[in-house]
Amino acid sequence: MVLKLALLVAALVAVVSPAAALWPQPRNITTGSTALRLSPLFTISLSSIHGAPSDLVEAVARAETYARTDNLGRLVVGRGSSDVAAYQHAKTLSVLELSLSQGAKVQSITTEAQKPLEERDEAYTLSIPSDGSTAKLTASSTLGLFHGLTTFGQLWYENAGTIYTLSTPVDIEDSPAYPYRGLMLDTARNFFPVSDIYRTLDAMSMVKINTFHWHVVDSQSFPLEVPGFTDLAEKGAYDPTMVYTATDVKNIVAYAGARGIDVMVEIDTPGHTAIISQAHPEFVACAQSSPWSTFANEPPAGQLRFADPNVTQFTTELLHAVAEMFPGTMLSTGGDELNIPCYDADTETQSLLQSSGQTLEEALNVYVQAEQKTLASVGKTPAVWEEMVLVQNVTLSPDTLVLVWISSDDVKAVAQAGFKIIHSASDYFYLDCGGGGWVGDNPSGNSWCDPMKTWQLSYTFDPVANLTADEAKLVMGGQHLLWTEQSGPENLDPIVWPRAASSAELFWSGPGGNVTSALPRLHDVSFRMRQRGVNSINLQPLWCALRPDACDLNA
Amino acid sequence: MKHHVALFALLGSVPATLGLWPIPRSLETGTSALKLAANFNIELDVPNPPADLSAAVSRSANYIKTDNLERLVVDRGASNSTAVAHAPQLKSLVLSLESGSPVRSIMEEATLELGTRREEYKLDVPASGASATLTANSTLGLLRGLSTFEQLWYDLSGETYTIQAPISVVDTPAYPFRGFMLDTARNYFAVSDIKRTLDAMSWVKMSQLHWHVVDSQSFPIQITGFMDLAEKGAYSSSMIYTPEDVQDIVQYAGERGIDVMVEIDMPGHTAIISEAHPDFVACAEASPWATFASGEPQCLMKPLISRLDTLWPLEPPAGQLRFASAAVQNFTVGLLNEVAKMFPSNIVSTGGDELNTECYTEDAETQAILQETGQDLEQALSGFIQAAHGTLKAQGKTPAVWEEMVLDHNVTLSNDTVVLVWISSMDAAAVAAKNFRIVHAPSDYFYLDCGAGEWIGSDPEANSWCDPFKTWQKSYTFDPLANLTEAQTSLVLGGEQLLWTEQSSPANLDPIVWPRAASSAEVFWTGATLPGGKPRNGTEALPRLHDVAFRMAQRGIRAIPLQPLWCALRPGKCNLNS
Repeated sequence: MVLKLALLVAALVAVVSPAAALWPQPRNITTGSTALRLSPLFTISLSSIHGAPSDLVEAVARAETYARTDNLGRLVVGRGSSDVAAYQHAKTLSVLELSLSQGAKVQSITTEAQKPLEERDEAYTLSIPSDGSTAKLTASSTLGLFHGLTTFGQLWYENAGTIYTLSTPVDIEDSPAYPYRGLMLDTARNFFPVSDIYRTLDAMSMVKINTFHWHVVDSQSFPLEVPGFTDLAEKGAYDPTMVYTATDVKNIVAYAGARGIDVMVEIDTPGHTAIISQAHPEFVACAQSSPWSTFANEPPAGQLRFADPNVTQFTTELLHAVAEMFPGTMLSTGGDELNIPCYDADTETQSLLQSSGQTLEEALNVYVQAEQKTLASVGKTPAVWEEMVLVQNVTLSPDTLVLVWISSDDVKAVAQAGFKIIHSASDYFYLDCGGGGWVGDNPSGNSWCDPMKTWQLSYTFDPVANLTADEAKLVMGGQHLLWTEQSGPENLDPIVWPRAASSAELFWSGPGGNVTSALPRLHDVSFRMRQRGVNSINLQPLWCALRPDACDLNA
Repeated sequence: MKHHVALFALLGSVPATLGLWPIPRSLETGTSALKLAANFNIELDVPNPPADLSAAVSRSANYIKTDNLERLVVDRGASNSTAVAHAPQLKSLVLSLESGSPVRSIMEEATLELGTRREEYKLDVPASGASATLTANSTLGLLRGLSTFEQLWYDLSGETYTIQAPISVVDTPAYPFRGFMLDTARNYFAVSDIKRTLDAMSWVKMSQLHWHVVDSQSFPIQITGFMDLAEKGAYSSSMIYTPEDVQDIVQYAGERGIDVMVEIDMPGHTAIISEAHPDFVACAEASPWATFASGEPQCLMKPLISRLDTLWPLEPPAGQLRFASAAVQNFTVGLLNEVAKMFPSNIVSTGGDELNTECYTEDAETQAILQETGQDLEQALSGFIQAAHGTLKAQGKTPAVWEEMVLDHNVTLSNDTVVLVWISSMDAAAVAAKNFRIVHAPSDYFYLDCGAGEWIGSDPEANSWCDPFKTWQKSYTFDPLANLTEAQTSLVLGGEQLLWTEQSSPANLDPIVWPRAASSAEVFWTGATLPGGKPRNGTEALPRLHDVAFRMAQRGIRAIPLQPLWCALRPGKCNLNS
């Protein structure tokens, strides 16, 4: 009877617990049902990589630390206390050996991560035998090895001091479906100290996100210290303590790179630039004009007078200086939400147009082309928001990356125009939606993009919906985005995590995933984030997190 | 009186210089700078001051030294430097009780019966540097006055100052119940999280923690004689409130002028009791949960059903006390008897929301008992509730219930029962029509979890059942007396904002609660009008709310920014029509 019960329990465990709670789910994975413990002397060996770059050495050290300190109890009732019988006589794993495939060039993770999108090599192979013999992680780039380490780190649970998995042997062959897997953070509406950005980069790397889209400035503040243009932050930052110095930027870029993340900075132009008027009043039309709602989508109003050659020169020089701060190949010049009445009402713009004989659209075209030419001259690929393609009559270089944000319905039109696409649709990926209206004197106002975009909704996004096979090739990937009108360091983690992990899996593992089977794995990575100091929220009562599927709609 | 109005008009033209929250009932301010002397101290001119008053004074003195909040203006107060440099120095604030007032601990005063608590105070801060005075007729009133005094001060290069002396405040709350409800059963919160929340509550003069401590998902409270409930029903042995923890929380709250109304929700929302007593619970973890879980739509007010339709918040796991059973009734009475002893408060909630009758229809045991006793389900329910409330009354406690006990069930309740209106603000009038006292807790104004999306799995298209998000602005427009007759207004005890925690935990407690929950704190303290008599309004309130949110952040509460800092520093610039 006792034996029978034990068998029944074992059978139940096998049924209800996921073999391995990896996030994002590897493209190819087989797992067994043999337990394996991590030796107290466990090490990760780099001995077969000659001249291992320092960021790989550090990544290995972090991976060893995470394995020892995650202390995540398995998400089942009892938190793994019933696993003792399974693991107490299990073999122990002493070594994970990293190697690069033959002929692979040894470059730093940072270098690999900052390559152009199409040239990044993120694939890896991981195999963990059941018998305690050396586990092997191989890749043809250090970036691939880094992603493999991330996967390895998600295999382990802790119970009563033992670190173990129940799912060996493990064999994984993995590579991303899309090269761009991002997260956008707006540091202009409210400021985030460098430490918040570091913590966010750590969490991003846990789910293999590879691009930090840094919307660093906007109409409300200019927190970026740009060499040669330091007056912009001096007069436009919220406070002298709320500035990213050139050194901060260097540190952030390096921290990101070492974690397999490229930084795509955005200097949004010509709209979203009111704050530049603090240093250069003559460059900005309708600065802080009232009522703001006539001249901008949100307060304060103010946009660069792009018809002015001086403004064009200022912009290209600024972009040039910014480009030198960021080693990545992508740089966004924004271009969203341009307000035309602002220029219609601006006498300077009108007289410039009259004297040059240009229309506003023609002047905009000249301005944007000057921007793109500058970026091209320093080897950068430009990125723009969708209006530059769909609303404005602007000639863009064919390699321009287009961020589709207004609606996922606009993807098709951008693809038809032949541009590469980064999915950023507000109807799937905006993390701020559902947070209520923030404009004052508006008690019945809701967020413009209500309702909240749940992780489940984001997860159902189809990156190639309505696209032809050829158009589908234009899809580079996508991202979640946090606009920070109502966010600060206080709620950064809870509003981003674990939701942003949803698109990370979508664009790594590919679309078509099942929300029902994904949920237990998402709980798992969310709980692991918390163990690592990220305030990732509970998606459900703990009762549900410990009972996979018991809280599904039709359970 | 004319003088009073003139001063207020001036204040109106120089917005956001005084960040008091809740704004006092009567307030006069000037335009002189005044700074705190380096040796500023708060003197307690109270014979044999109770320990919790002395502790409150120490905390206050510490906040004033460490808040380091700069004024929320573009230059963060730099332009005040000359005025501050030459300002008189305030050396002391003297606290005293009006003659004849009893000297009792703040905790004793705070746990008095609702309606008998004395929270009023008078605060005078002269412009000359002469001693400021705070007087009240209870230590609780002194505590409220200290909270106000703390909010007067800003920091500029190490000087602590105000530019609005003299300041004269006469203050008293409009309603005695100014609460916050926290659910610690869907997800667990450590004692430290609860204490931090109590601190923030006290800064905005909240008087009541409504502690929804247990529910179907977990039973984290240890109750003497009923230890198996937490032993088997807590999420883990580390996620338990021991009797010592409860005592600690109750004491911590009391010292901060907050009474703790605990809720043992019944007979629904009790699935977890089946872990210790499978025989007491009908349809425990029955599947599909949607058929059996608390919240059956036909129990609800008709207009609401049509509005919410299929969005009703059914939630797993199913399971409800078999209230028709005499054994369950004995168990419940014994349990409540012990719970009542743990909490000094005069009020205990027995919940009573979202009873699922289908669960009992399908439950053979319940049907057998009903047949045997010749009762119908409602009669049995009435007997159960009367027994539950009987044991509370025997200990001098007033029962509180959710609105369904009055509006949807045929249950006999004692006249003094406090009724929590949650389904819709529209239901308050019906409760008042039955002559019960009301605590406003309507989901359409005060639920902090609304708008956060569906949490049920396998349901990618769904939203939170009470979408959209309730902004502070929306909560702030709540009218406690809407649709009530003049005679019924005395039934309103106050109200609360509520956090159900299906998607909350320590990870997002502060950001989801603060500063939004301060919104109702002012609604129920200040009442309908600002000092000077104008109607209270959200546009005037926003700069002050920014102020208290920033002050909370200085004190370690992760209160969120309500707007870009650009807006917070420019009152009036980010309004809809600015």
